[in-house]
Amino acid sequence: MSSKVTIDPITRLEGHGKVDIFLDDSGNVERAYFQIPELRGFEKFAEGRPAEDMPQITSRICGVCPTAHHMAATKAMDALYHVDPPASAKKIRELIYSAFFVEDHALHFFFLGGPDFVVGPTAPKAERNILGVLGKVGLEVGKEVIGLRKQMRDLISLAGGKVAHPVFGLPGGVAKALSAEDQAAFIAGAKHAVEFGLFSLQVFRDLVLTNEEYVNWITSDTYTHQTYYMGMVDGNNKVNFYDGQLRVVGPDGREYVKFAPADYLRHVAEHVEPWSYIKFCYLKGIGWKGFEDGAGSGVYAVAPLARLNAADGMATPRAQEAYEEYFQTLGGKPVHHTLANHWARLIEMLYAAERMVELTEDPEIISPTVRTLPIATPDEGIGVVEAPRGTLFHHYLSDAQGLVTKANLIVATQNNAARIAMSVDKSARGLIKAGEVNDGILNMVEMAFRAYDPCHGCATHALPGQMPIKISIYDQRHELVREIRRDG
Amino acid sequence: MPPILILGLGNDIISDDAAGLLVARMVREELAGVADVVESSLSGLALLELLLGYERVIIVDAEGTGQRPPGSITEIDPAALDALIAPSPHYAGLPEMFAIAEQLGLDFPKEIRILAIEAENLSEIGGPVSEAVRVALPEAAARVTEMARGWASQD
Repeated sequence: MSSKVTIDPITRLEGHGKVDIFLDDSGNVERAYFQIPELRGFEKFAEGRPAEDMPQITSRICGVCPTAHHMAATKAMDALYHVDPPASAKKIRELIYSAFFVEDHALHFFFLGGPDFVVGPTAPKAERNILGVLGKVGLEVGKEVIGLRKQMRDLISLAGGKVAHPVFGLPGGVAKALSAEDQAAFIAGAKHAVEFGLFSLQVFRDLVLTNEEYVNWITSDTYTHQTYYMGMVDGNNKVNFYDGQLRVVGPDGREYVKFAPADYLRHVAEHVEPWSYIKFCYLKGIGWKGFEDGAGSGVYAVAPLARLNAADGMATPRAQEAYEEYFQTLGGKPVHHTLANHWARLIEMLYAAERMVELTEDPEIISPTVRTLPIATPDEGIGVVEAPRGTLFHHYLSDAQGLVTKANLIVATQNNAARIAMSVDKSARGLIKAGEVNDGILNMVEMAFRAYDPCHGCATHALPGQMPIKISIYDQRHELVREIRRDG
Repeated sequence: MPPILILGLGNDIISDDAAGLLVARMVREELAGVADVVESSLSGLALLELLLGYERVIIVDAEGTGQRPPGSITEIDPAALDALIAPSPHYAGLPEMFAIAEQLGLDFPKEIRILAIEAENLSEIGGPVSEAVRVALPEAAARVTEMARGWASQD
């Protein structure tokens, strides 16, 4: 009998972000599907609106990473209006963006990845949550995470204004220069962030790397895929979140292509599957060969694991040390283990913190010249940044008055969608045997996609309700046989 | 600041997701001096910072349970929420916040009420607010106002 198991985190939207697992006659996994919802209508909504409104509008489509959308759209406006911001404005943008990375990565590791790794993948369900994490690392660390996050948010407000959505980015620069007092606050915050980054890496060493079972999970075949990796790099092929070229390395770790973000359509294409709302990105030059590993398949990954693989190193000293330790420990480049995303995320957090120090100590950061006024006729602009969850593309065309005629976004999770689908399928196959599906097993399937931190639709801002997971088992005629609810 | 916060959650460019924000706008003037009225599109633990320092909070939000007719207004008791495993930080919600605030001894509200308005469409950017949700807004606003005034008269 063929049956279907559904892992369905019921959020504000019924049926979103769910996993369907089809079992064969013997109870093993025939195929598992991960579905991510798509937010519809953005392109249509953007049409006819002033292009310069896009940084504000797109920052409203996601309650988690408004700063990433704001930054990608702002860079697209620079291109659309053919204006090059002053160096000081670029530094202020990168500084704000680095602060955003620190708080986002810190939150993810301690509050989301933490339950899986600090507490443990097979720990009792009742402990596998943020309280379990606090129990392991101590309440002081919890206060520290909340405090650091608040400090980063306050710094972002200092530079960008205390408003619900970021408004600092303008075509050709930023809205406000930094004062010497602002700079002092940033220096203090940046140094605090570096300390926290070092501390977090030590937590990872102490609680994860010393645990043989965890390390075995990280390096197990169940959570491993050999794909291409994409990430933004600076002129020295070091990781950069704000600007640079996009570099793609193959499963062997060698550079496959490096291109200017404006050329993305020559390199990235989208594949449609009947069972999913999301379009799966792949490398055009390789082609779509299905959900397959290897150099012959166009599937690629983005986000921390991919960024570290796609670069030759980190541009700051402590992060570079951590980068070397990471690859030495995990057997050299590239690292194909999906769960290593958590470690890579901490290395990136340290880099973002060190980069904050560099930028804040640069005398140019308080230059009063923060904008080049656009004078050219607007036409087309592409802006790309590395969001915490991976490469984010914004692309707009406008008429001569600057009204949008066409818009296209590729969000991080779309870039990762094919590999996430493969990870869920493979982990389900590796973990579910002879029809045995329990809470621990389902959690370990979920770990496969949690490592990527997929964004389940950019609309979600909160869930004032329960987060149960629904498991539906269907017979081969797809009639409901059994339903299990996992309430949190 | 007043000890009461009305927090409208949502997104005014995504169809019925605007509901919480629209209710906040409807009560702002009437509750001036009684409560702070804040609109936010933020998610998860980012909301923690908004709540700190208030004694009592009413959260107004859209929900998409699919179990109730669109426009239904449901009052949710946060104490009844016990889900602590968020599948993503996007959904790290109130249960996490309560737990963290309590464990860390933060200055968290002693009472939180949630009014949830069942939505018809939560996934279309630029889509209209549905008729069912639109007609439910005045009642939601009236309930928020009544609750806030009730609290204010107790103190």
